[in-house]
Amino acid sequence: MANNPDALLSVRNLSKNYPAFQLKDFSFDLREGMITGFIGRNGAGKTTTINSILSFIRPDGGEVFYRGQPFAETEQKIRERIGFVSAGMTYYTRRPLKAITGVTKSFYPAWDDRAYEKTMRAFGLAEEKTPAELSNGMKIKYAMALALSHGAELFILDEPTSGLDPVSREELVEIFLRLKDEGKTILFSTHITSDLEKCADRILFIQQGNLKADEPLDDFRRRFRIVETAGSVPRELQEKSRGSCRIRDGYTTLVSAEDSEGLASREATLEEIMIHLEKGAEEA
Amino acid sequence: MKLLKKEFRLCMHPTGYILPLMAVLILVPGYPYGVCCFYTTMVIYFICLTARENHDASYTLTLPVTRRDAVNARILFCTCLEAAQIVLMALVTLAKYAIGTMANPAGLDAGLAMIGEGLLIFALFNMIFFPLYYKDINKPGAAFLIASAAVFAWIVAEIVATYTVPFVRFRLDQPDPAYMGDKALFTAGALALFLAGTASAAMRSAKKFEAADLSL
Repeated sequence: MANNPDALLSVRNLSKNYPAFQLKDFSFDLREGMITGFIGRNGAGKTTTINSILSFIRPDGGEVFYRGQPFAETEQKIRERIGFVSAGMTYYTRRPLKAITGVTKSFYPAWDDRAYEKTMRAFGLAEEKTPAELSNGMKIKYAMALALSHGAELFILDEPTSGLDPVSREELVEIFLRLKDEGKTILFSTHITSDLEKCADRILFIQQGNLKADEPLDDFRRRFRIVETAGSVPRELQEKSRGSCRIRDGYTTLVSAEDSEGLASREATLEEIMIHLEKGAEEA
Repeated sequence: MKLLKKEFRLCMHPTGYILPLMAVLILVPGYPYGVCCFYTTMVIYFICLTARENHDASYTLTLPVTRRDAVNARILFCTCLEAAQIVLMALVTLAKYAIGTMANPAGLDAGLAMIGEGLLIFALFNMIFFPLYYKDINKPGAAFLIASAAVFAWIVAEIVATYTVPFVRFRLDQPDPAYMGDKALFTAGALALFLAGTASAAMRSAKKFEAADLSL
């Protein structure tokens, strides 16, 4: 697969081998000004992919391109344009935010003090506090404030809404949508698929280290339908099934849209598609 | 320089302001003065330990810097602490001479050669600790244990040498200003070894860190 010079970020033939897990020949593009949702169950390879893009881990094969340029060659410059936010990361928990910001800003020539102050005010963050004094949601907001102030054009978000209450998640999703309106590009890894239904333009679906889907969210959802049955799953439906899940009064079965003709079916949510495809893979 | 500033502002451990003051132990008669340097290696260990707890590597690697820069900044930062320790040891030694000195039965006497001995201890520590640490930054304890064992073995060897090796016993282990030429030569050699050893440690550490998969 050739490098796509029109994409903001291109990943080509990425592979990483661990004793118990393999990321296999993984390729995708991030289109500028779009929110791309990155879904898959825990351990599917989302974080491994992100860590490979950011060079936290060394892939066994493949390349990453930023605006057509190999990432490895101009890594330092490219990092100035990337904002990385991860729910699991809390830096220097006992240092005041002011100290962390003071150090961070010195690394970015495009740092904007006014944008930083404005964002901190909007998020209700006080610089005198330490990360240990912040809730999970506020920590994410602080990380977002840093990324927004150094002029990032690509935001890589690794499960930023995990562990947050619904209201905080909604606030963050609104921030992501505002960023998109400003032309920023977002890679949003999560297993809270309802957040993606609200904001994502495209979907990357990863299963056991393999990229199973890379397409617009609406197209992805239109490809599948859900059939609900009381009792067991009929034999003719089993043949068309992409995965079935037990529910209170019977089963829900995921089928391809073209196989759903003549069946009483309904639209599938992103979560239903992901869960049923995982079930189908386990059954296979 | 920006990364060095980051090390001082975000990574400094509180013991970094206290343990180097253990240089005052040089005032204690019959004490192995090389142990003063061990306290500073403990500070370096605490810095690396709290760096792990504070996710320092994941913060640093999201900044527009290379892994090599990050390694060099950390080692330069630690070298500054070691240099501060050496300066403090020199100042306390001057104070000891001002109030009247006496021979030290537990290793080298306080003086110029003892400064050289301190530089050799730091050179040994840096050459062992940093490459091991950067092989897996999540295990600073293992690196420190091995480097400390080497440091203590060296201190013991130095004490033994003050009784068994004639050049050490009759030239280096004598109160200043006796044999200052020999001591200056020894200390200059130790300084050269410290600088070369630390530079070599930085290169090997960067190579290991660049190849490492970081589970952050």
